[in-house]
Amino acid sequence: MSESKTTSLYDFHLSKNAKVIDFAGWSMPFSYDGTLKEHHYVRESAGYFDVSHMGRLRLNYSQIEDINFLICSDLKNISNTKALYSIFTSEDGTAIDDVIFWKFEDDLILICNASNTNKIKTHLDIHSINYEDLTTTTDLIAIQGKNAIDIVSNIMTVPEKFSTSKEGKYVYARTGYTGEDGLEVMLDTNDTLGFVSELEAKGVKPCGLGSRDTLRLEASLPLYGFELTDDISPIEAGLKWTVTNKDDYLGKDVIDYQIESKEHKHLKRFKLNAKQIARTGTICTSDGVEGIVTSGNISPILGYPIGFVLFKSNPADDLVEFDIRGNLVEGNLLYKRFLS
Amino acid sequence: MSETKYLETHEWYIVDGDNVTVGISDYAQGELGDIVFVTLPEVGQEFSKGDAIVEVEATKTVAEAYAPMNCVITEVNSTLETEPELINNDPVGEGWMIKAEIKEMDDSGMSYQQYESFIS
Repeated sequence: MSESKTTSLYDFHLSKNAKVIDFAGWSMPFSYDGTLKEHHYVRESAGYFDVSHMGRLRLNYSQIEDINFLICSDLKNISNTKALYSIFTSEDGTAIDDVIFWKFEDDLILICNASNTNKIKTHLDIHSINYEDLTTTTDLIAIQGKNAIDIVSNIMTVPEKFSTSKEGKYVYARTGYTGEDGLEVMLDTNDTLGFVSELEAKGVKPCGLGSRDTLRLEASLPLYGFELTDDISPIEAGLKWTVTNKDDYLGKDVIDYQIESKEHKHLKRFKLNAKQIARTGTICTSDGVEGIVTSGNISPILGYPIGFVLFKSNPADDLVEFDIRGNLVEGNLLYKRFLS
Repeated sequence: MSETKYLETHEWYIVDGDNVTVGISDYAQGELGDIVFVTLPEVGQEFSKGDAIVEVEATKTVAEAYAPMNCVITEVNSTLETEPELINNDPVGEGWMIKAEIKEMDDSGMSYQQYESFIS
């Protein structure tokens, strides 16, 4: 096995007593002060995450037609200052990766999951799309939280929600993965330490991948490898809103069929009426339909266990029975987001 | 009261006459991260050495604490039902999990020094 990759902040993380885990071949901070504390920093104030392990590719604008053929969303016709969440789909309509595009006048930045960077690069190669890999020459810092925008507005001009900007050494967008407002900022690796030191001086706390996961789950956001895989389509994952591509694209036939027929797997949100957590892989049944938990954890804000479950077909009932290590625990499917 | 001993499965126990108190080690709580829920046994429940007595749910994973010897539960730390974070904050003190009457003494656990070299 090859040695784990590190971001430019690795020594800085260690100096802050971060617990480090291996994630998709990268040594990344899992937590500093503890996952629950970090979760509350973001919900109540502001935190920053080193997410430099995520893949960052610069794409030439002239290739936009070719790129648009590989995703289920309309990247082509949105304005040049927008950030777009979309999904690279396969011929079978399943998810190759879920990604963010930052659209600018002259180029596009594609941000993909660390576990899928090589897969996406190969996919682009096969479709003759050129890119410049910025993953190791830049870092990506997400500043998220109730007060995040107030704080970062002292450092850079804040664009509208889901919009992009370039200013001095910062390339950024008002996007995130926590359910809170904030920015995701790409910058040269030489500038990162100075930037996070400035954030810390303004009271933004370092947060690890542990709280990033509890925050995204509580915000009802999917994680590739769990809610989305190369066996799950955007429709099955409940992400029909991402299907905005009017042109032909890879997997369009399957996705159109799923929308029309509703014959597909169904990802649902659930809460448990107990304290046990139904973790990834937990089997459950609802109305005779079998499901499997894709992600599950405690919601630190709601105080009870929540998660996503993937059913083989759409269950008619909202009552679910989970088999948690031999004990049957009741839960309910939820038709709204976990946090209102 | 005898010294605090440790098991390879990261529990600690203290023998006091016919009774034993059990919890999980500081190392174990650190590895688990934030503990959010514990399932404690009932008073009177009997366990053999190696049986799972407590289930510990943390944000990162779920783990079990095992009986260090054959014993019958005499008291559980019910404060943990509302304040499971006591295990994180004071694992070998306020975060104790159960007290039990010893049915068959087995004091083969490691000393703190031995346990420290075991985990490092």
